Amino acid sequence: MDKELKRIITVLVGICILFVSLVAYLSYFQVFKAESIKMNSYNKRLWINEEKILRGSIIDRDGKILAYSEKEGETYKRIYNYGSLYSHIIGYSYREYGKVGLELEYNNALLNISDSTPLNELKNIVIPNTEGNTLKLTIDHHIQEYARNLLKGKKGSIVAMNPKTGEMYAMVSLPDFNPSALKENWSNIVEDENSPFLNRATSGLYTPGSTFKVITAVAAIEKTDLDREYECKGSTKIDGYVLKDYNSKAHGKLSLEEALVKSCNTYFAEKGVLIGKEKLGEVTERFMINKKIPFDLPTAKSTFPYKDNIGKTDIAAASIGQGKVLVTPLNMALVASSVANKGEMVKPILVKEIISPEGKVIRQSQPQTISRGADIFTANEVKNMMVEGVKRGTSKNASIKNIRVAGKTGTAENPSGKAHAWFIGFAPADDPQIAVAVVLEEEGSTGGQAAAPIARNIMIEAINTIK
Amino acid sequence: MYNIFSLIFKYVFIVIIYLFILSIIRLIYLDIKGIDTAPLDDSSYLKLVNKKDTLPFKVKEYYHLADEAYLGRGKDNEIMIKDPYISKKHLRIVKDEGDYYLEDLNSANGTYLNGDKIMDVAQLKNGDRIRIGQVEFLYVGRE
Amino acid sequence: MMNKKVSYKLPRNLLVLFELMALLLLFIYDKDNLDKLTIIYGITLIFIVYISNFILLRISTGDSYIFLIVTMLISIGVIMIYRIDPLLGIKQVLWIGMGIIIFFITYFFFKKIKGWEEWIWLYGISSIILFIMTLLLGTRTKGSINWITIGRFGFQPSEIIKILAIFLISSYYANYEKYKEKKYGPYYLMGIMYIFIMFLFLQRDLGAVLIFYSLFLALQFIYEENRKLVLYNLLIFIVSGTLGYFIFPHVKIRFETWLNPWKYIDNKGYQITQSLFAIAEGGFFGTGIGLGYPDFIPEVHTDFIFSAICEEMGIFTGIGIIMLFLILVYRGFKIAIKQEIKFYRIVALGISILFGIQSFIIFGGVLKMIPLTGITIPFVSYGGSSMLSSFIALGILQVASEELDFEVEKDG
Repeated sequence: MDKELKRIITVLVGICILFVSLVAYLSYFQVFKAESIKMNSYNKRLWINEEKILRGSIIDRDGKILAYSEKEGETYKRIYNYGSLYSHIIGYSYREYGKVGLELEYNNALLNISDSTPLNELKNIVIPNTEGNTLKLTIDHHIQEYARNLLKGKKGSIVAMNPKTGEMYAMVSLPDFNPSALKENWSNIVEDENSPFLNRATSGLYTPGSTFKVITAVAAIEKTDLDREYECKGSTKIDGYVLKDYNSKAHGKLSLEEALVKSCNTYFAEKGVLIGKEKLGEVTERFMINKKIPFDLPTAKSTFPYKDNIGKTDIAAASIGQGKVLVTPLNMALVASSVANKGEMVKPILVKEIISPEGKVIRQSQPQTISRGADIFTANEVKNMMVEGVKRGTSKNASIKNIRVAGKTGTAENPSGKAHAWFIGFAPADDPQIAVAVVLEEEGSTGGQAAAPIARNIMIEAINTIK
Repeated sequence: MYNIFSLIFKYVFIVIIYLFILSIIRLIYLDIKGIDTAPLDDSSYLKLVNKKDTLPFKVKEYYHLADEAYLGRGKDNEIMIKDPYISKKHLRIVKDEGDYYLEDLNSANGTYLNGDKIMDVAQLKNGDRIRIGQVEFLYVGRE
Repeated sequence: MMNKKVSYKLPRNLLVLFELMALLLLFIYDKDNLDKLTIIYGITLIFIVYISNFILLRISTGDSYIFLIVTMLISIGVIMIYRIDPLLGIKQVLWIGMGIIIFFITYFFFKKIKGWEEWIWLYGISSIILFIMTLLLGTRTKGSINWITIGRFGFQPSEIIKILAIFLISSYYANYEKYKEKKYGPYYLMGIMYIFIMFLFLQRDLGAVLIFYSLFLALQFIYEENRKLVLYNLLIFIVSGTLGYFIFPHVKIRFETWLNPWKYIDNKGYQITQSLFAIAEGGFFGTGIGLGYPDFIPEVHTDFIFSAICEEMGIFTGIGIIMLFLILVYRGFKIAIKQEIKFYRIVALGISILFGIQSFIIFGGVLKMIPLTGITIPFVSYGGSSMLSSFIALGILQVASEELDFEVEKDG
């Protein structure tokens, strides 16, 4: 009997454990997994609730309507006014294909859905919510359209922003796609090897090339015991690896300023090794490399794996933006902004305001510093060097009459064999109103020739038109 | 309108279901503990003196006494104990003017009150020991 | 004694309160196509449940909780079924009525008749006849052949066989000494059980395979003196499970949809992912009855009723149901431990384990905690066979909870 009782109790305990684990799993599921499962686009409930609500419009900084919803029978139809122009900003929202872009990130705001608390539920039942909020973007429709036209037919990205407030004026990524004609082109878009769905501005990782020298320059200034003089012979040997200047041109005796103006590779490579990976790494991280940039859209992390066991050649390559360094165009625009804004890097903003159906502003984005790239003196020094670069160096093609422009070009070697053409810069140098980053993917030309003129035109247009 | 109802009711339902579960758990708890511990009301009762596990048949720890209670092996007794040494109708405990009286019903093996075999009727006092067959009870009288 | 009666009233009254409120709510919900009959059905059900609980306390000296718990489970189930489909809800009310009647019939019948432990051959043979009938006459639903349809009336023989199997195992172990003496005696039961399991596998009723298997293993674990057999049994299960995975595609599919249902969301994984959406959407308190969309889940009224309850009544109610089952199983075990007669003790254990395992398998299944096999939740899901057989089992458990004194009667 005793043995029997013991075994009976063992079985009872076993069943109890099973049931308790059920309760535990159910609670775990609800607390940790439910949110993400609910958001799955196959969940028809999402759409049932949504289809009863007039999804909010999306407008540009001047109130121009970019996307809106219209009643079509029982449900609403989403209309994108400018086709592929905003495909990487606004994205799309379709029952069949789900959501991306701001349509995804700001879904609750667009539908005016609040968190499910008992009070909100009751409120929602007493006063049913039928209309969503409007999103007012920081984007300037004119600049956005203008920028995209400049890039037309190429692959790459343009980011134009206000360096003081972080407001994005334009964000172009090509190739793109037309959200209004998604159904017809779906399989083509998915299979296209140029990945039109990739938002290159926020998530495209590129070798930065010489634009990275801006960061190396900051590190060089901060390293007070560094000898800033250098004799350039057109090439140098680091750890047995030969590093050449563009066309193996010897620049002769150089100061830091001259080196940046002429974009001398051997100078920065040699000095980079002297600065050391710890210092260089620390400075790059202040410029948000290896860090998550907070933004209204998902962003990829730029990387410089200096903590890995990297050798002298890797440091030398990184100092001139080659090798193991990878950055996003958004990140480089922020680097330019930071130099423009006395060293302070502001948080990039895409959504300026959320406006309720009654026209009340519910939420307004405030400028916010996310990092200090350099102190004010260092930033000023680097700015002056970049101004000189536009005046008489590699960035000459970005110069604007009567306006002091600061800039840095880049020509990034990469495995494709064709170099990426880069330009980052801002204007006017004394009171910066716009900062840009331009990257032309696999352009096969230098940044000075291909990217600088595009940046120049955008800066002129922005200064002339944006109030 | 229905929505408001449904919304309020869902909380009420959960409260009721859990109250239900709690009340059942409480009952089961009382069942396990309550019957095996001293009764809360002030009626008189018999308490088992033997260790329960040593007996080869079922017997409770406590028996409440009503105004009249028969004890025996048979099914029709208020207190049924399947001890083979207990007769089918062994004894009777009866209340008369507030006092309890123990009466042996001509059992085969007799009834012992504080060690003495009783012949017909004896009055019970608090603390009396009643032995029948293999079982011994303590009488707890309360007024 | 007075004290006790008063406290029984509390859960009983809570139950009635719950049912009345739910009835009110459902009638407002369904006010457009209400007729007198529906209201009468509803009120009759509440009345029957109340009276049954009341009567049972009078006539049975045994356990007074199990029926109370079961009536609560039934109430939650029928409310949800009515909300999903009023027509099915009314049918379910009829099944419940019949179930309660069957419960009392079983109670008296099983108590009156003695010698159940002697008829082991009857249980074995009638089970096998039922199995063969299923294979010959059965119709295929949801991929498994487990229904026999006679005229308008369909039933699931495996529901009855579950109880027969419990009786079979119980009478075997109740007369264990006798069988042990025979040559290969200890292997008889295993042989028969594996025949049962093989039949179920042929019917592709994987849920039932799992139930029979766990039931057998648990009872064998408690009563088998030859401990090696328990080990063999476990090994056979593991080996045949692994083999089944590689040989039979329908076993493999179950596993794959369990591991990653999102991959098969359009077809094989549709049901389980819809169930997960429903549970996720409900949150802790649910959307409120009538305000969710449980009808997106196929088969929601039978196998997936738990997901529907979680969506509209919240996972707090879901946890409540799990707790009710836990208490039911606990009471069943308590009954078994108190029962003196071995046969009834094993039967009580078998039924408790059956309730526990069956509900666990389907709760775990719809939650994606374990691979999904389509079985019903006893007392909660829609379905006549399931309801009636569960009530038969409950009636038997009720008898087992009483002090049975056959021996005394025998020797006068």
